[in-house]
Amino acid sequence: MINKQMEYNTLLQKLKDKFGDSILSADDAADFFTLVVASDIIKQLISFLKDEQNFIFLTDLCGIHYPEQEKELGVIYHLHNLVENKRIRLKTFVTKGNPQVDSIVSIFSGANWMERETFDFYGIDFVGHPNLKRILNVDFMDYHPMRKEYPLEDATRSDKDDRFFGR
Amino acid sequence: MSEKDKKYTVVEAPEGYSAPGFFATTLDKAVGLARKNSLWPLPFATSCCGIEFMATMAAHYDLGRFGAERLSFSPRQADLLMVMGTIAKKMAPVVQQVYEQMAEPRWVIAVGACASSGGVFDTYSVLQGIDKVVPVDVYVPGCPPRPEQIIDGFMKIQELVGNEPLRRRYSPEYKEMLESYGIKIDK
Amino acid sequence: MKTINSEHHLDLTKEDEKVFSTLNLGPTHPATHGIFQNILTMNGETIVGAEQTIGYIHRAFEKIAERRPYYQITTLTDRLNYCSSPINNIGWHLAVEKLLGVETNKRIDYMRIIVMELARIADHLICNSVIGVDSGALTGFVYVFEEREKIYEIYEELCGARLTTNLGRVGGFDRDFSAVAIQKIRDVMKDLPKVLHEFEKLLMRNRIFMDRTINVGAISAERALNYGFTGPNLRAAGVDYDVRIQEPYSSYNDFDFVVPIGQNGDTYDRYCVRQTELWESIKLVNNALENLPEGKFNAEVPAFFMPPKEEVYSKMEPLISHFKMVMGEIDVPEKEIYKAVEGANGELGFYVVADGGRSPYRLHFRRPGFIYYQAFPEMITGAALSDAILTMSSMNVIAGELDA
Repeated sequence: MINKQMEYNTLLQKLKDKFGDSILSADDAADFFTLVVASDIIKQLISFLKDEQNFIFLTDLCGIHYPEQEKELGVIYHLHNLVENKRIRLKTFVTKGNPQVDSIVSIFSGANWMERETFDFYGIDFVGHPNLKRILNVDFMDYHPMRKEYPLEDATRSDKDDRFFGR
Repeated sequence: MSEKDKKYTVVEAPEGYSAPGFFATTLDKAVGLARKNSLWPLPFATSCCGIEFMATMAAHYDLGRFGAERLSFSPRQADLLMVMGTIAKKMAPVVQQVYEQMAEPRWVIAVGACASSGGVFDTYSVLQGIDKVVPVDVYVPGCPPRPEQIIDGFMKIQELVGNEPLRRRYSPEYKEMLESYGIKIDK
Repeated sequence: MKTINSEHHLDLTKEDEKVFSTLNLGPTHPATHGIFQNILTMNGETIVGAEQTIGYIHRAFEKIAERRPYYQITTLTDRLNYCSSPINNIGWHLAVEKLLGVETNKRIDYMRIIVMELARIADHLICNSVIGVDSGALTGFVYVFEEREKIYEIYEELCGARLTTNLGRVGGFDRDFSAVAIQKIRDVMKDLPKVLHEFEKLLMRNRIFMDRTINVGAISAERALNYGFTGPNLRAAGVDYDVRIQEPYSSYNDFDFVVPIGQNGDTYDRYCVRQTELWESIKLVNNALENLPEGKFNAEVPAFFMPPKEEVYSKMEPLISHFKMVMGEIDVPEKEIYKAVEGANGELGFYVVADGGRSPYRLHFRRPGFIYYQAFPEMITGAALSDAILTMSSMNVIAGELDA
């Protein structure tokens, strides 16, 4: 336990030395080390983690939407250091008006479809992605369904009788 | 009479008049008898119900006993479209296209809750039942339905096939029904 | 490079005027197990490129999960990799237990290991027999499905359903293994080795099968890691990453089992890795069954565990806890966790952001099939169409897992 704490402290120190203020917060209270970073350095940070800190595996990339925050849309990365068996979580937030994040497809090829899925669900624009179009939903869909303001059911459905559904 | 001497009826004979040397029945019944015991299904398996269909085709439950031994993945050579699994809105045009490519007479069986009515998935991306895009003959409920239920649905299709009048597909009501789904009729 | 036209002296083209044709593979195609589309650009018989379209069975699980209470999300996880639903179910329960900080005793852990390894056996049986079917060998499929039927009977005894099992509860199980269930597991484990030997004799050292699968669809370990491969596909490429060993859960570290690794990452290696994992799973089930300790079959998680109906109707506290549970007045800490289990296809991860309420604020499934299927165009470039079919079936792409 204490060893892990020291390891994470040294890692945090290295990151702070390199990226300074862009590391907005760091947290060890969650199940593993979680960092919130500014969206403009995310690509360099992941590149640094992969090349110099052995986080060679991208486990997951997903989006999230917090409507009450100023920067509503977030992208969450999970990286895994297979050599020393450590995980790390990176979060970065952007505003709805300008949802741009650098794409990390050039670092991890596996991020290709994961970024497309995040774009499909949340509308986050990944700059530099080779083929950013919808992947799971129909191509002509004009909204991003996982955002909190959209309902789960199909709004155009006409055959459901509201009496039976308690509405 | 011991067990071995009992005569086994493989297929029930339709109503008709029989005497030594011949059996007379209506043309509908004869054609229906031939068709219902040699239906060639098109397994349109999309999700979990498809795995239960694989179990139905395997040796334990064996749909081949009912004449459906030859699965056809080409719609031109199939009689029965078995839609098994959830159909998303992205997939709906494909179902309609496959149905259009099938030659008459053709039947459709919706296997599973998702194909019948959308199932558990009342969401923006799931088609709430394939009867929104193609006319369905038999619905088999279940999530997924047991192989016995799928076979029961298949036997109900066989009943429909055996009793179908020969001129049904040329009647104006049938054409009207197809047009209401937006299905193009080949001439 | 000699083209066939130049050999026959046909009055045709210069070297660089090749004609590429487009072939549409899917979404409805007998060899694509599940619905996804590949538009292949072909140079004669050789594939030059592939463009993939998925999403034909997108059912919006992640959006549904934001509405459902934690114990109802199990029914959604069933339908991810539906060939091995119990692994998904138990993985979800482990994730919720990590969120709540619940410890399970050894009996529950061993019971879970038995169920998960049975599901892994069932999934690998389908995958390997379907590789055989796609190369023309239909007999293996029929032999092996009979064993899968017997595993279905075990599931029926444990939870009532065959395929989409919804097995277990947060904190354990809803009932103990009955004597009938244990006898059925023992019988299946006794008969399975014979059937597997027969199946192996059909395919594993079969000259035709080996010619069709060796060096077909190969991927190197570096590319596989870069893509995020996990599971048997990654192990066939040579990397020994198995979540059961790296982050042991559910007392897997009490058992000694081998994690097989391949060399070339081709189709034959994937087949052999899955086959070896089948044997290891049989050993695990036997070990866990022999050493099953005594204990309760569910941990104390009153907020997630429906009390028995007799008590609900007669006593006060069970009635209150039943009411609170259904109405959603339960204490869930506000935190986020990521929990991974070794699914049949690889690392199945659950990223849960909890906000203290009845449903998660955000739930994301890290689906292994979605991630490794991206590498398919790279694996089939330069191969023939029949090789592409075998590569696709050896990767075990399940549509439910692709689209969620």
